[in-house]
Amino acid sequence: MIRKIYIFLLAFISLFIHSKEQNYSYETIAENLSHPWGIAVIDENDLLFTELSGQLRLVEDGLLKPEPIKGVPEVLFAGQGGLSGIILDPDFNLNKKIYIAFSSPDKGKSTNTLEVISAKLSADSLEEVKTIFKASPSRRTAAHYGARMAFLDDGTLLVTSGDGFNYRERAQYLDNHYGKIIRINTDGSIPDDNPFLNKENAKPEIWSYGHRNLQGITVINGIVYENEHGPMGGDELNIAEPSKNYGWPAITYGKDYSGATISPFTEKEGMEQPIKYWVPSIAPSGMAFYDGNLFPEWKGSLLVSALVPGDVRRLTLNGSKVTEEEILFSDLGRIRDVATTPDGTIILATDGPNGKLIRVVTK
Amino acid sequence: MLINSFNLFISIVLATCLVILQETMSNIFWLISVDMPVSLGIFLNTYFNNLYAMNLSGAIPLIALIAIGFLIAYFVTKIILIWVKVSKSYAYAFAGAAAILAIVLLMPFAFYNLDILAGGRSVLGKTILTFFGLLSGYYFGKKLEKQEMA
Repeated sequence: MIRKIYIFLLAFISLFIHSKEQNYSYETIAENLSHPWGIAVIDENDLLFTELSGQLRLVEDGLLKPEPIKGVPEVLFAGQGGLSGIILDPDFNLNKKIYIAFSSPDKGKSTNTLEVISAKLSADSLEEVKTIFKASPSRRTAAHYGARMAFLDDGTLLVTSGDGFNYRERAQYLDNHYGKIIRINTDGSIPDDNPFLNKENAKPEIWSYGHRNLQGITVINGIVYENEHGPMGGDELNIAEPSKNYGWPAITYGKDYSGATISPFTEKEGMEQPIKYWVPSIAPSGMAFYDGNLFPEWKGSLLVSALVPGDVRRLTLNGSKVTEEEILFSDLGRIRDVATTPDGTIILATDGPNGKLIRVVTK
Repeated sequence: MLINSFNLFISIVLATCLVILQETMSNIFWLISVDMPVSLGIFLNTYFNNLYAMNLSGAIPLIALIAIGFLIAYFVTKIILIWVKVSKSYAYAFAGAAAILAIVLLMPFAFYNLDILAGGRSVLGKTILTFFGLLSGYYFGKKLEKQEMA
């Protein structure tokens, strides 16, 4: 009798799971991509995306253009470095301007750094390419660049700058760009209300600090959400605010890859707490806000793509709290970025040398 | 043979404990420098946690890594000592130092140029770790010498 009840329960649960999966289906936009990394949606059928190995690609009318866009600067494609974050100017329809973040090799040296350029997109090439930010100092490692971007409502650009892995302690000091969120104007100048503009020995571009490897950032109703990789455990979702210290590596919920305790502390006065953290790690990559109508039950959710084990976390927000977490798209492998289109479909970039660009639509 | 194996094991354990001590202290000293409330209890707790975690839950069991390094270095030293007449304690001290230095320098090649042993990122850290390898090797060599004298 008990066995029958058990089988019935299992059947009921699997039916429930199955019915949830039937919500959506996948359409492959492009495949055999070389480490697709960042997505910038232009409209329902057009988008730009980066490949870490250095190509900027255009999808036009739903089809991938065979030739990459020309005029992209030289990138350091090594480790976690390469052509990374991309974002459209808020007035892209008028000025065709885009911004790209990438790891840039220092000429004649064994060092490299995070660089951000602005450029104008013409038919098949970039024009008026201009460097608007270079992280300082340079690094020897090819890891933890951050390299995601978002616009604040005032038109200033936020750039995430990772801690470079070997330089983690510097995230606590303001004389460098490791482990920071940077705020600049789109011409590269520094906004005159940046929090550390007049602080001695502080880099004036710094907006917030104490971050590790920020891989997702988005602005919703003026609130800046950012996610970052922890070490072994301790991935975080934060609400970022100017001048705030997010604690890395003085406080953390993660451990070092060697197993060592980086810090026995998880909180301290003057250091911000994440609104959510993951132990074990999910390796959060991109982030997008879902405001579409195609999946009404997801409206108002934060979508966080994850590399480990590979899925998208749909987070329900209530003010500064995450009240619910649902795992979506867990059958695609490592997901490097997530974006939404004006018609409510969701675009996913799967990670790796044979990456795909996938559109999630209703069934 | 049994005594040699025991001394080898102690030498590896000693090196592992010292490397973990250096790793712990480098993190703790930095935390103190940014005014984190580190007490002796927190330090000891962190050290004993690290002894467990760096051997049993890290990316690579540290003691296994050090054992491989020491076995290779001691084997090479044993062969060299057939022809070269130097004090065993000095020869194995050099071997222990070389083994730890090699581990610290070579590990980044396996991890995208990243220093997985955070305590070994600086020149000072590398020097201290190498010195701890030297101490562990010296212990092993000294024990061999004592055995031969007995």
